[in-house]
Order: sequence, then C-alpha cells, then structure tokens
Amino acid sequence: MPLDTSTYALALLRLDGRRWNELRRIHAQISTQAAADGSSYLETGNTKVICTVAGPAESRRGGGGGGAEGNNASVQVEIGIAGFSGVERKRRGRGDKRTSEMQSTIANAFTSTLFTHLYPHSTISINLHILSQDGSLLAACLNAATLALIDAGIPMSDYIVACTAGSTSTYSSNDESADPLLDLNGTEELELPFLTVGTLGAGEKVSVLVMETRVQVGRLEGMLAVGVDGCKQVREILDQVVRRQGTRMLESVVG
Amino acid sequence: MTSLKRSLATDPHASNISSKVFVRSTKSGKVQKIGDAPADANGVVSPFVLSERPAGTKAFPNGHYLMPDTNVFLNAMDLFEQNSAFYDVIILQTALEELRNRSLPLYNRLIGLTKSEEKRFYVFFNEFRLETYVTREHGETINDRNDRAVRQAAKWYGEHLQQAVKASSKSKVCPSIVMLSDDKENLRKAKAGKLSACSLKDYVSGLDDANRLLDLISASREGQEARSGKVELFYPEYCSLSKMMTGMKAGTLHQGIFNVSPYNYLEGSVHVPAFEKSLLILGRDNSNRAVQGDVVVVEVLPKTQWKAPSTKIIEEETLNKNENADADEGEAVMTEQERRALQDEVRKTQGKSIEGRPQPTAKVVGVIKRNWRQYVGHIDNKSSSIAKQGRKQQTVFLIPMDKRIPKIRVRTRQADELMSKRILVTIDSWDQDSRYPVGHFVRSLGELETKGAETEALLLEYDVQYRPFPKAVLACLPIEGHDWKVPANTEDPGWRGRKDLRDLLVCSIDPVGCQDIDDALHARPLPNGNFEVGVHIADVSHFVKPNNAMDAEASMRGTTVYLVDKRIDMLPTLLGTDLCSLKPYVERFAFSTIWEITPNAEIVSASFTKSVIRSREAFSYEQAQLRIDDVAQKDPLTLGMRTLLALSKKLRQKRMDAGALNLASPEVRVQTESETSDPVDVKTKELLDTNSLVEEFMLLANISVAGKIYSAFPQTALLRRHAAPPKTNFDELANQLKVKRGLDLHTESSKAVADSLDACVDPHEPFFNTLVRIMATRCMMSAEYFCSGTQAYPDFRHYGLASPIYTHFTSPIRRYADLVAHRQLAAAIDYEPLDASLHSNSKLAGVCKNINVRHRNAQLAGRASIEYYVGQALKGRVVDEEGFVMKVFSNGFVVFVPRFGIEGLIRLRDLASPEPEGVFDAEKYVLRTEGSREVRVELFGKVRVRISDVREESTGKRKIKLELVG
Amino acid sequence: MPREAEPSINERAFVLQALRENIRIDGRAFDAFRDLELSFGDEFGIADVKLGRTRVIARISAEVSEPFPDRKFDGIFTITTELSPMASPAFEVGRQTDQETILSRLLEKAIRRSNALDTESLCIIAGKKCWNVRADVHVLDYDGGLVDASCIAVIAALRHFRRPDVSIEGEGVTVYTLVERVPVALAMLHHPLCVTFSFFEGGEVVVLDATLQEQQMSEGEMIITANRHGEICQIAKLGGVPTDALALLRCVDVAVAKVRDMSKAITGVLEMDAKEQDLGGMTAELSAENDR
Repeated sequence: MPLDTSTYALALLRLDGRRWNELRRIHAQISTQAAADGSSYLETGNTKVICTVAGPAESRRGGGGGGAEGNNASVQVEIGIAGFSGVERKRRGRGDKRTSEMQSTIANAFTSTLFTHLYPHSTISINLHILSQDGSLLAACLNAATLALIDAGIPMSDYIVACTAGSTSTYSSNDESADPLLDLNGTEELELPFLTVGTLGAGEKVSVLVMETRVQVGRLEGMLAVGVDGCKQVREILDQVVRRQGTRMLESVVG
Repeated sequence: MTSLKRSLATDPHASNISSKVFVRSTKSGKVQKIGDAPADANGVVSPFVLSERPAGTKAFPNGHYLMPDTNVFLNAMDLFEQNSAFYDVIILQTALEELRNRSLPLYNRLIGLTKSEEKRFYVFFNEFRLETYVTREHGETINDRNDRAVRQAAKWYGEHLQQAVKASSKSKVCPSIVMLSDDKENLRKAKAGKLSACSLKDYVSGLDDANRLLDLISASREGQEARSGKVELFYPEYCSLSKMMTGMKAGTLHQGIFNVSPYNYLEGSVHVPAFEKSLLILGRDNSNRAVQGDVVVVEVLPKTQWKAPSTKIIEEETLNKNENADADEGEAVMTEQERRALQDEVRKTQGKSIEGRPQPTAKVVGVIKRNWRQYVGHIDNKSSSIAKQGRKQQTVFLIPMDKRIPKIRVRTRQADELMSKRILVTIDSWDQDSRYPVGHFVRSLGELETKGAETEALLLEYDVQYRPFPKAVLACLPIEGHDWKVPANTEDPGWRGRKDLRDLLVCSIDPVGCQDIDDALHARPLPNGNFEVGVHIADVSHFVKPNNAMDAEASMRGTTVYLVDKRIDMLPTLLGTDLCSLKPYVERFAFSTIWEITPNAEIVSASFTKSVIRSREAFSYEQAQLRIDDVAQKDPLTLGMRTLLALSKKLRQKRMDAGALNLASPEVRVQTESETSDPVDVKTKELLDTNSLVEEFMLLANISVAGKIYSAFPQTALLRRHAAPPKTNFDELANQLKVKRGLDLHTESSKAVADSLDACVDPHEPFFNTLVRIMATRCMMSAEYFCSGTQAYPDFRHYGLASPIYTHFTSPIRRYADLVAHRQLAAAIDYEPLDASLHSNSKLAGVCKNINVRHRNAQLAGRASIEYYVGQALKGRVVDEEGFVMKVFSNGFVVFVPRFGIEGLIRLRDLASPEPEGVFDAEKYVLRTEGSREVRVELFGKVRVRISDVREESTGKRKIKLELVG
Repeated sequence: MPREAEPSINERAFVLQALRENIRIDGRAFDAFRDLELSFGDEFGIADVKLGRTRVIARISAEVSEPFPDRKFDGIFTITTELSPMASPAFEVGRQTDQETILSRLLEKAIRRSNALDTESLCIIAGKKCWNVRADVHVLDYDGGLVDASCIAVIAALRHFRRPDVSIEGEGVTVYTLVERVPVALAMLHHPLCVTFSFFEGGEVVVLDATLQEQQMSEGEMIITANRHGEICQIAKLGGVPTDALALLRCVDVAVAKVRDMSKAITGVLEMDAKEQDLGGMTAELSAENDR
C-alpha cells in the first residue's frame, strides 16, 4: 500500500486523491446485451458490473410456486461474482451467504418500488455479473439493476440509487474532527467504517441501509446525510445516461 | 447493441483525467490493484506560500523552500528535527510514500513534524496533480521514476510560486525551491533542468551552525557507505541433532544455557563445564536466534576471535528504533547500527593491554530445547501506524519487560487498543529469514502503570502460579472448614502418636501482621541446669496427604510468594492462615523438635515428635524485643524468651566462628497507607535481636532435621546445599578491591571470605562494607534443593551457613520442600510410613528441580514488587540522595542508592547534551568525561544523584531516573 | 414447501387499523420488547432465552483444532443456526430458506464481524493450534423476533462460557479439565445486541420487536445491532418500504437505549448465576492471591 487512510488529515485528500464529498467516476451504458430484455453496464471506479433483466415472464415454476403472492410479480435476483474480480482469485460457491444476502436485499428493494401489481403470476429476474470489485459493490449492483430495469421497460415509482458513505474515524474513537466520506473504494472499505445507502429517487426515502462495521452512534448521522446526498448525485448521473439513451433511440426511430 | 468500447475523448470528463491502476505484488505473491486515478486534478490546492518570510541562507537570500527526496529523510531525520534550521519544507507525496515503506518510525516522526506550527512542514500531493504527475516509462526503474517525479514537482512548484508571488504583488521577492538529494545522478539531472538542487552536505555547510549539524550527517553517512557492504540475509541453519550429539561427544561442541547480559543485548554467555569462564556469544549472527534461557549447543570460535566482555552499555531500544515492524524481504540479520556498536567494542578491547583478559567466544549451532514462555511487555508505539486503523491487521513490535528478550513481532488487529497496555504474548517461531522472533498476542493485562496490570505482569514474568486453586482441592480440605478443632478426646485417631505439649509456654515471633505462622518456640530450665528448647512447626503434613490434588497443586506452586501488598499462597487460605497456622490461644497440631542444650549452647540431645501445642502469644519482632528488654516482666514466658535470646547469641557466635558468611542484599520495606495500600515511604529494614533469635533456632532445627532424615534415608532425603563458588567468580571483585582500596579478598574458604569481608571497611564510609557484601553476594552460587542420592556427601555442604548438611523444615505452610522434609521426618521417627513417591530418587529430583526454580522466581518477584512500589512511592517526587558506583562501563555507570535499595544506570548521554566524550580506564575502573560536562566517576565512589520518576515519551511508561548532581 | 399460514384479510385489516390507532394487539407500546426471560444451564455456556413465545437455546463448545492457514494468528469462531420444524411448521430440515440465511448472516455480522469475541486470544500456537469455539443456536419456538432472541442467547452464552485452561511447553499443549484448573472466560471485546424494527403504513408506523403476526404484515424491517458503549455494530435494512432517513435515525437512538437496558438485564442474570455456582462462598476459599 503506498499510503493508508491516515494521511487524510494531512491535506484532506484521500488515497486516490479525492476530497471527502467526491464520487468516483461513474460510467454507465444501457442496452449493452441484445439478447436480454433489459441490460446495463456500470463502472464506479474500478468496480464493474453487468446487469441483465429477463421478464416480466410467466413463472417458470408453474402453479403457486414462483409468483409467491399470486397477484404481484415476484422479483428474483442472481448474482455471479467472477473469479478474477477481486485481488485473489476466488470462486464463490452458490451457497455463499454474503451473496445471497445481497440477492435478497436487491430483490426486496425492487419488490417495493416496481409496479409489480401490473404483472400478476409472473417473474422478473435480474442477473448481475460482477467483473471487478473495488468497493461499493452493493451500491453498484443496485444502480446497474435500476438501469437494466428501465431498459426492460418495467414501470417503477422512481429510480433506486445507491452509494456508500464512510467516516474517517474508527469505531472506538469519538473524535469530533472525523469527516464523513463519500463513495469508498476497496482499500478504504477495509480500513474505515462505512454504510451502503439506497434511496428512492432524489428524496430522503431510504430503501436500503446496510452497515457491517462498528461505528460510534454520533458518526452515523453525518454518514447517512452524506450518503443520501451522494444518492442524489448518482440519480442525476443515471438520469443523464437514461436520457441520452432515450435521445439515441428517438434519433434512430426518427432518423 | 452498442459497443462497450469507448474512447476517452467521448467522455466529457475524460479530458483532464488520466486513469491509472497501480499494480503491485504483495509479499505473499498476490497482485493488488490500488487506486483509481487522480480524480480531479485541477481541484487540488496546496499551500503555495508557506510563510511570509521563509528562512534563507547565504546562497538563497530570498529565502527558500526545501524539497527533500526520500533518502534525505531516511539518512538525516535528526537534522529536520533541529530547531536552528530546516524550516519551510515541502514534503512530496512521492517521498512520503517511499519513506513509509522503508521505515514506519521515521514516517511517524515526519508526520509529527507536519503537525508543528513553527516548523512549517507541508505535504504536497504531487501524485494527485496533473502537472506534477509523471508516468513511469518503459524500462524505467521505480526509483528513477520517483526521482523524476521529485524533479518535476520542484520545477512546477518553482514556476507556480513565481506566478503566485507576482499575482499577489505584495512582495517582489520570490523564494526559491531547493531540491535536496544525495543521489549524484539526480542532482546532475536537476541541474541540467535548471533547478536549484544540492546535496544535503552542501546545503548544511551553508548554514549558521554548520559544524554541529555536519556531525549529525556524518554519522548517518557512514551507515550509508556500510550498507553497500556484504550483509547476512539469513541466520545460519542449525546443525542436525545427530551432528550435535557427535560433536558433543567429541568435545568440539558444548551444551549449556544461553544467558543474555542485562546491559548489552548483543552479548550472551553460555557456561559449559569444559571452560572455567563462561563462553561469550557476541552479536546476532553468533547467538543465532537463541533466546534467554534456551538450552543451546555452541561451538567455540578460534582463539584469535576471543574477546573481553563488553565494557559498554548497548540497548536495543536506542539502536534499532527506526525499524519497520513489517518484515521486509531481504532483511539483514544485524542492523548497521548493531554492527557498528559491536565494532566500536572490538576496537576498544584490542587497544587494551593484556589485562583485558580475552574470554573464549562461541557461536550457537543448535538449540536443544527452547525455553520460551509467555512474555509480558508493551507495544512499541513507533512501530505502529499512528492512525487508528480499524480492522486492519498490522505487525507491531512488542518490547518485552525483560531486557534480555529480543523484540517480538506480533500481528494483531487491535494494535490501537493495545497501545499503552501491558500485554502478554508468546513466541511462536523464529525463522532464519526474520531478524526477530514472531509471536502472537495472548491477552491484555490492563493499562500500563496501573497496579493491577503491573502486579499481574510481574507474576507472569516470574511464572508465579496465581490462579485460584482448582475445585478438586476442595475435596482435600477438612469438611469442618474453619470450625475444625483439635479433637478434645485424646483417644481420637488424630492424637495417635502425638505428645501433649499444651502445657508448654510456647509463643511465636513473626513480622507484623503475619497470618501464616509456621513456627513457635519455647525454652524452660531443666533440673540439671541445662535447658529444654523446643521449636514447634505447623503440622502441614497432617492436612496435606501425598499425591492428592492439593499436594499436586502445592508441589507445582512450590512456594508462597510474598509481594509488597499481596501473598500468593501455596496452600489454600483455610489451611495456611487458619488450621495449620500456629495461632495464639488455640490448640494446633505441630511437629516439634526438642533439644536439651547446655547454658553454653552445646546440644546434648535432640528429639522429634508430632505434638499438640497451644501458643500463648503471637509476638511481632518489635513486641518480643520490647518484652524481653522490659526488666519489669518476670513471668515464665518472658524468662523463656530471654533464655532463647541468650542461647541464640551463643549459637550465632559458634556459627560465625565456623565460617558462616554474613552477606547482605539491599533490603527495603515499603510503607503503605493501610486503606488504599498506596505506597507512602520507603524504609530500610531494621534488624532486631529477636530476628536473629528466631533465625538461629530455625537454622538449628533445619540442621538437626537434615541429619535425622539423611540417616534414615541416605538415598532420598531432600536436602539443601550451597556450593562453594568457583574462585574465578571472585576474580573481578578481588581485583577491584585491590586496585581501588588496596584490600585483599581471600577466597580459599568461607571463613577466609567472611574474615576478609569483615576487613573491608572504609573508616569514612560505613556503607562501604555493606556495598562490598552486596557485591560479594552476587559472586556466590545460589543455594539449591537436592536429593541426597544425587550428590556425594562432601557436596552436601552449605557454604554460606558453614554447615555440613542442611535442609528446610521450618516453613511448611509456605515452602513445599519443608512439607517433604516433614513427611520424611515423620517416617524417620516411625510416625507413619513413607509414601512411595518419596522413595523414588527420580521423582524427588523432579520435585527439587521445580522448587529450585520456583524459589528463585519467588525471590525475584518479591524484589520486583518492591522495586515497583519504590517507584510508586517516588512518583512525582524529586529526591537528592547519595549513591555508590557499583559498576563502570565505557559509556556509563551503575549507581546503587542505599536509601531506596535501587540501582540505576547513568549513561554518558544522560549527563549532558550533546553527549560528553568519555575516557574509560578499564584497569583503574575510572571513567572521565570531557567536553560538554566534565566529571570523574570511579568504582566504589560516592556520588550524589537526583532521583525522579519520568514518563518515557515513547512508551508512556514510568521509570525511575537517576541523574548525577554536582 | 410448507409455508407459514397467511393471516386472513380480516385479521390483517384489524391489526393494521389498530396500529393506525396506536394500539398493538398484545397491548404493548410501540417501542416495548416482550418479556425477556434468560436462564443458564448447569454446564458453562448454555443460555435459554424466552422472548414472549419465541424460545431460543444457544450452546457454546470449544475444542482445540488447527487454525485456517490464512489466519494463523486467530482462533476459529463459528455460529450455526438451526431452525427445526419443532419451532414452526414453516421450517424444514435440510433446506436453507432465505430466512435462515439472513438470520445466520445477521448473527455473523452482529457478533463475529464486529469482533465481539476476540479471536486473537484463541490462538494457542500460531499456525498450529487454536481454539475452535462454536455457538449452536437452536430455535425451539417461533413467534417473531428471532434475530433479537438468538443474539441475546449467543452473547449470554458466550459470557457464561468457560473454556478449559491450557499450558504450552515447547510444541506440546496441555489442556486441563475443569477440575484440574479453574477454567477461563472467553475474551469478549464488547457485547452487541440486536433490535428489530418493523415498518407499517409506508414507514409511518414503526414497531419494535414484532410478533410473528405483525412481522407477516409489515412492509419492511430494519435490524440494528449496538452495544452499551453506544457503538453501532451493524444495520440491516435489506430493502422493504422506503422510509424517511430521519425516522431511521430515530430508530437508531431507540435501539441504543434498548440495548443498554438489555445489557444490564443480562449482566444481572449472569451475576445471579455466578452466585449460585459459588457454593457457599467457596470461591473466596480457593483464591490463591491474598492480601498480606
């Protein structure tokens, strides 16, 4: 490691030279996979995710099975993590609990924002492929899924946008000078407390809030505020991506 | 379908972003991607103008900002910490990152400097700025790239500064940027690029107090040159077991226990039977990973490499403070500093005349048995990254309390919680490629300097078994508990074979507040004019039967350990302070030794019996003394005590005539406040006549019992012996006395030693005699328990007591040896059969081995506890006291302060700053200093010292500090 | 696949209407836990927790084993959960449901990842021998609040547990039975506890410690783990109804206060138990360290 997070205090610059409230570069594309009903490709820094959406389609497991509540569509999520995506080449088995937790988080989040009542007895399946990991993985997955669902044309009340927020203090110290940080990369995630927040659109409504590290309760408010604010910025960026894609489609139709 | 390919040009943000991914391989061979890019290169602001009027030199009249490269920091961090120069320094991120990888402690110091307002050190994140970022070119080494980055930063910063100054228009003077580097190629390129650059030496030469500062560089420069020399990367491999065995048989290799000098961690010694003097083991490569206490096999080095033992104090903490805890690849076995410290040493010994008497040296070729235990220490906070890093595992150095143990590398995730704590670690391994052993954290004992943590620390250090007794012991205690009484009915089985001595006027004399009363005495006149004297010892063997859980526990603990405020019991309190304890006014079982003694203290007869006694009174030494001295007291008990006192004086005289030694060890008593047990004062112990009264009769009882059990069990009696010290042990002291005072120390026999010690007096200095006795004591062997079958009869001798045979019998509550002696004596008088385990020579040898160790540890722990409390009593005080020089080194000396019973090291560098030049005359034991402070210190000399307790900045630990006054 | 019986439309309407009127079916306040009953077994490390009708038993066991090669300096600590059909017809043997995954994952995050148990202190000889501490969680009866109850059970059991003492000599390790040497408590760095919040009415109504029935009707839940030092160890709002950020922060404050109360309660029970274990003050009798 060249430096660690402790140098932050020297010039208020982070490991990769960002200030506390800067997002990493987000690059996103829609409709990248022709075969899928909806698809997207999203990069935040070195975290890279491809998402495809299939459906809404008739439940495969006929009868009462798949469409759990018969009147609404069910959302199913499958996450594949490429062996080469991390520092160490590692295959995650199907039963990996962290992955299944992410799957069910994403499914739960979209179940309550997609208009599932429009598609009774059907299934919407979201497939996420993680090509490269460098922090903010769950957030990237949520953002990619939003784009792919839009591409698939499934109505929703608003975008679900997510990002991470951390704090320069550790859990044990209660130092007041600690700054909140926006959008953590992999190294920062290893060292600092952080949370992933997913909001509905640009509002203050939080759909997903996951924190896995210890932090003083006093730090939390700042982290959450920065996270929610970050979500607003992310929504702006995703919205541009969608609009650009829309313009392009219109051009191709008109042109 | 859209293509995933995109050109950077199409990305609206991309124009000013260069995306880079660092790839580096970690030690384990993993490849790690780091960082993304300078995110937004234009936004980074750095403090362009550091100060209104930056410091200047003759060469740079407009003032200048310094921009050093990594090597400059590595070599001369001391310079940057000077107050006279080195202001306005720009630290480049490139240099900072490299420094962090090279030396974490230096990095921490540099970060510390950036926090100082007046020094004006700033970090410039040049890698995050588009203008100063340089891409590594194909074929370029990382060092060249970094040098280029430094030049680029210097160039850009200089230009930018000019613009900034112009724009502000306040002043027309623009400070220059001066790049500092010791790399000639770098300097050349910098000059070619029209940068002002110079080497550190050139720069310093232009400063006001150049001479002094240049001295600081020269030291580091030497290191630089030496670094290019050959270094050992690995410790030598150990020999195979069979090779060692053959070697030992052939006499080319020797086995012994590895001991490290407490004053010089690079010097070890191994005592082997084949050599009269201990073999010296100098340096890390020769000691080859042996740790204090290990059983090692050594090979003697050729005579040309023999050396005299060191006359210099070498401390690990000061030599290797800049090391990285994370093991570097290709780390040398010895650091440069260590090599130099030893070389100095060699130069000195070679310069000396033959008087230096070189000692054989050796190197370790194998370890038979590791004697690693758990070590208590604290984390070197310089070795950890200063930032509190949450969950990251990092390697830190643990500095053991015991100076003879090397630093231990410990990997932990809790480094910041463990800072300033006393912690317990174990050593796991010491591989060939690691300079230090690797261990793991066991648990934290608590904050440094808190009583609880420090007490537990010393219990652990001396391996005192302080944990509670296991439940199994409960079953071995009498079911009546505290209600147990001597059976009223004399027909009870408990009375079998016991004499009813309840009518005797027995009393006990012990220190104030003693609860575990082992012994009581009586004396009464006999019709024939002689006296009957009885020593009654608590009958512990009645309660502790052989081979049950309680016996096993007691045998393992070996002894009760007395600390200043605590007692770590060998037996559960129910027995120790109640049922066995010979408390006054109650009946107790005892084991009595009864003599008939003539008024001239000749022993007429001795008999031993189990008995029942009732102590009339429990005196303290002071009370007993008062009672004896009070002529108004004429009751039989007092008369008996007077008889005892009179007899004891005669016994003592006889013993002295036979050549018993009167040795001294520094003993002090800590007075504590009763409520809080906070120490309030330190007193030297007073000795009363009653102390020696008790002592004489206990010695008599022990000697009588020893004879009895030896005659009953010639092969398996548990005895105690004190070997005569080898003559060479006294060589140094004898020489010192001769040279300094013209006194002769005769060492042919204990009698001769005793007499010559008596003659060692300085009419002007009453303490001189005690000082010599203390030093003589350190030349002695330590007494030890043994099983009679393992030694020849002449070797049974107790040198110090001048008795042909001796054992321990009188304190069975607090010593396991005495308990064994009780059982053997009971069998010898046919009271009960001897347990099978006490017939076995090998089992007894095992017991002896354990209790010898426990006994020694208990003494050391007790001493350490006093030392700690003396420190606490001195807390926040500054006292001037007189002290005596006990040992002189070439760069320091050891002073003993009788008032507090402490001894402390005063190094030359403590005398004055800068360190005065020392001239050491090893033959005369005189150390003179010149330069910044002139003093003359000689052995046995009286000095005045100022005693204070200081808090060590680096460790947060309190330490008693001695300073020379006047 | 057996399923939990869905509440009927009438039941649903009734419960939700009541909540709208600030009433819970069992009469509790919105921010009140059900009665907590904690007891310990005869052996060390068995804790039996009853939270209303939910009942969970946790059992700690420890054995010496080999550490993972990539974590040479750490002992092993695992938590396993078992939802047997005994507790609820919806639980099935052998097949991991989402609920079970989430439960074990949450316990993992709340207790293991937050470093409640200091695994470094479980190391005996680095890379060769370490303690393998296992917490088995058995759910005996199920009426909601599973995470909270399980967490209490595991933490209480860990605090109650004593592992055998060991000594090391060279490469050899001696493990002493509980009679030979007084067993050693585990090194706990802190005591995290979980509090579950359930959301109704689009996040307008927030209810603590929902029963099974309430849980089935809720629109989302959030589990907060905290300790009594005011540190948040874990937050999990895994989807569900989008809820106002400020409301979530209020939940955090409530959770911290609740955890303090529960911590105190658990400590109280532990002390009571220690007194019972100490047969007539024999512990004092066995102490080897005594004042002079």
